[in-house]
Amino acid sequence: MSESGRVLRQALALGALAILVAAAVHFPLITRFARGEFRESFFQASAYPGVRLITVEEAEDLWRTAHAAFIDARRPSLYDEGHVPGARNVPASETDKAVPSDVLSSSRAGTLVVYCEGGDCQSSLLLAKRLHGEGFTDIRVMTEGWKGWTAAGLPEERGDGQR
Amino acid sequence: MVKDRPILFVFRFVLGGLFVYAGLVKALEPLDFAQNIRNYALVGQSLSFIAAIVLPWLEILAGACLVAGIWKRGAALVISGLLIFFIVLTVVTMIRGLDIDCGCFGAIDRKAGLSVILEDLAMLYLGLCLLFAPRTSS
Repeated sequence: MSESGRVLRQALALGALAILVAAAVHFPLITRFARGEFRESFFQASAYPGVRLITVEEAEDLWRTAHAAFIDARRPSLYDEGHVPGARNVPASETDKAVPSDVLSSSRAGTLVVYCEGGDCQSSLLLAKRLHGEGFTDIRVMTEGWKGWTAAGLPEERGDGQR
Repeated sequence: MVKDRPILFVFRFVLGGLFVYAGLVKALEPLDFAQNIRNYALVGQSLSFIAAIVLPWLEILAGACLVAGIWKRGAALVISGLLIFFIVLTVVTMIRGLDIDCGCFGAIDRKAGLSVILEDLAMLYLGLCLLFAPRTSS
């Protein structure tokens, strides 16, 4: 048997073995995936008590009754082009982990509504996890995001108001 | 290429150990790793999930084989192949201008950028030394 053939066979065997071990170790998770979980998001609500996903309608109610502080997790340039009136801009990039001090100084029991662009944007969830880590207990993620808000014909505000 | 056996012996432990560690931290948090893969915006939800389940174990097994001295060349081939893939992936990600975590060592957050590429190149050097090491009598 040639040396290169032997090496290639070892590598393939390692690949097959990895699949077997992974299937055995993560069997419960794979079962959940097969049942249809994690198709929209890998976010596990049970791991972050206090974080809830809400619709645009629910967000609108909270906004109209002024029951929640809105946080826009998108880039400042997108925020300037239009955002939920009164929303504070806290850009949640993958690499900048800091939550601004004025957000941290607000009551941990207050309701926060976090959103990003919409579609499969992840920054609102990312920020929600961070806020959860900072001790906030009522964080709602408007999953349809800014696109959902504008599609519903709700009021917009422009400019760099609360950056 | 290094051909000195004691040095190659050290290389095996360093590279194998790093891969076992990198694999373990990801295998412990498969959903977080799945999200990291998804953030590269190259594959969909299902493929991200499958890759996040399997890839850490490939790293662990290949790393463990290097450390234990079993199937050394096969393990070096797997690791070198993975590193070449990671390097290409990081370069593509930088060109596309994505600001994302590399997901390299699980929760230790680092941006997919130049330092990751340099680190991967250094590990690739170790991997290739081991892959093309002269045959021993054993």
